[in-house]
Amino acid sequence: MTVFEVRDCALLTRMSGLPPAFNLRELRDRIALCGENVLFHHFCETTLRGTFDNPDYRNDFAVWSKQYLGDRVLAERLGILDPYAFPSLGDLRAATLEVIDERLSELTMIPWARPGDEFFFSEATTVVFSAGIRFTQPARLGAFIRKMTNGSVYFHFLEARRRPPLGKDDFTAWLMEDEEANRPYIQALASIDFYFHTLVHLRRELGRVLSEVKAAK
Amino acid sequence: MSATLSSYEAIVGSAVIRQLRQLGEKLAGTRIVHVNSTREGGGVAEILEWMTPLMTELGLKASWEVIHGSGRFFEITKSIHNGLQGYPVSISGKDWKIYEDVNARNFERLRPILEEADIVFIHDPQPAHLLRLCEHRKGKWIWRAHIDISHPHHPVWKSLRPVVEGYDASIFSMPEFARSLRHPQFLVPPSIDPLSEKNRDLESAEVEAVRAEFGLDPSRPLLVQISRFDRFKDPVGVVAAYRMVRKVAPVQLVLAGGAATDDPEGKEILDDVLEAAGNDPDIHVLLLPHDSHKTVNALQRLATIILQKSTREGFGLTVTEGMWKGKPVIGGDVGGIRLQVVNHHTGFLVNTPEGAAHRIRYLLHHRDSIDRMGTTAREFVRENFLLTRHIREYLTLMLVTLRPTQGNVIEV
Repeated sequence: MTVFEVRDCALLTRMSGLPPAFNLRELRDRIALCGENVLFHHFCETTLRGTFDNPDYRNDFAVWSKQYLGDRVLAERLGILDPYAFPSLGDLRAATLEVIDERLSELTMIPWARPGDEFFFSEATTVVFSAGIRFTQPARLGAFIRKMTNGSVYFHFLEARRRPPLGKDDFTAWLMEDEEANRPYIQALASIDFYFHTLVHLRRELGRVLSEVKAAK
Repeated sequence: MSATLSSYEAIVGSAVIRQLRQLGEKLAGTRIVHVNSTREGGGVAEILEWMTPLMTELGLKASWEVIHGSGRFFEITKSIHNGLQGYPVSISGKDWKIYEDVNARNFERLRPILEEADIVFIHDPQPAHLLRLCEHRKGKWIWRAHIDISHPHHPVWKSLRPVVEGYDASIFSMPEFARSLRHPQFLVPPSIDPLSEKNRDLESAEVEAVRAEFGLDPSRPLLVQISRFDRFKDPVGVVAAYRMVRKVAPVQLVLAGGAATDDPEGKEILDDVLEAAGNDPDIHVLLLPHDSHKTVNALQRLATIILQKSTREGFGLTVTEGMWKGKPVIGGDVGGIRLQVVNHHTGFLVNTPEGAAHRIRYLLHHRDSIDRMGTTAREFVRENFLLTRHIREYLTLMLVTLRPTQGNVIEV
């Protein structure tokens, strides 16, 4: 096995430059036009941002639809979209627009947010740096994950899916260097329904499933 | 004396501190200067009090400078402050001249350090004009707006906008506070220091001493609002809410605030509050000296429910402080309070004295919710609103500013 070098990342959020959306039609139009980085931010980077972990939905569009448009039907449909399940952000955008278009066709009046409750489009720059931690033994992965920052968990387990090999987290990609020997660990990681975890819970869950495999070995 | 970084490990974990040290290494030796208008009173001064030494500990050459001005200057900047928050104020050409002249006098004093700095953070509008005076600046200048300027009084914004647009970037606490500007607008919520005198754990005897000092009854619920006596904090509305609750529950109310040196309007508002309170012995209006941090800490710990019924708010650090003490917060549905108070999870957002009274009564009837929301609130603050997160974002911002890139990922 090669050395696994733990990386860390920190997020800096900024305004996207897009005008805010005051109603569902404007939300739809802005999503159609926005950069992929904006889409990624509102679907995926919410876990790393300093906001309350909304217990209902994991993406900003669903939360806004429920809280400020008062459209629970739309919120439910947007809330179930798992951005990591799509092969590309273009596909995620198309699916999001499809949900909104379907909802617009069902409504007789376009839902509006109150002034001050508009949707603000943001994006982020990610600064990636070494965490100064290296290890080589798969059996120690769980213990190291427990000591990682939220940034490291995010970078290696979530953000990694945007990088080649696409759709795979860094831990799994590393374990696959010796797929046969590491299969139980790989399967344990694959068993986690990660999108609905906060990073704190995700770190705990990663540590738990990996330690169970280690104990069973 | 500020705490060292390692003192925070017990609160946030060693990984978080290690992360800060690693980011700090990338910026070692970077000269940064913070400039604001007061060293005492208000959230900005409190942030800079811990941020400057911790950045120094991380290897940066950090300093904090304060501009000096006359009483008239601070009256004008208070008007600018109110105008930026949407209050219709009148600022004459002569007033703007005084504003510029005071900035110019301060610039002559600060010139060497400002010209040499790699990054200058100018906090709020009071020292904003310094940028225009610093023609030979070497570094990047960033304007940090701690207030909500999303709906400013137009004449004030018209005068200030050209000044602000000269900066390389600006920082707002939330997107809702920002204006459309021609430079990058970063989003960095503020934070609290969990080891400061205002937030550290207190011995029971210390808390009880404050209870005794102000004659608070331990057997009855206590409502506490801590904030400057400022019209946007709506202290008179809080008294109105208290009176509605008092008809059915034997609550006590503490309205406590300090006077900041850059806020000449406080006395007028305090008089309004005292008049509204009348001679009710269960309303305690406390004008506290600026160094009453332990008293504030104890009052928040004594509270059954924390109130922050603002009608306009920057971020609302008193909300964060209250949540860190494990208390639910009933806050105005404005500004940064919305980022912190989540209905039924960490407290309630309200829009009127009636709404505040309703939620106070709700919580007094559901005592288990007070504990549950308080616990959630404290953990929410631990993850998101402690100074370690704040420092991390400032370090990240400096790296992004000093190493511009076309993409959205920077490897350092």
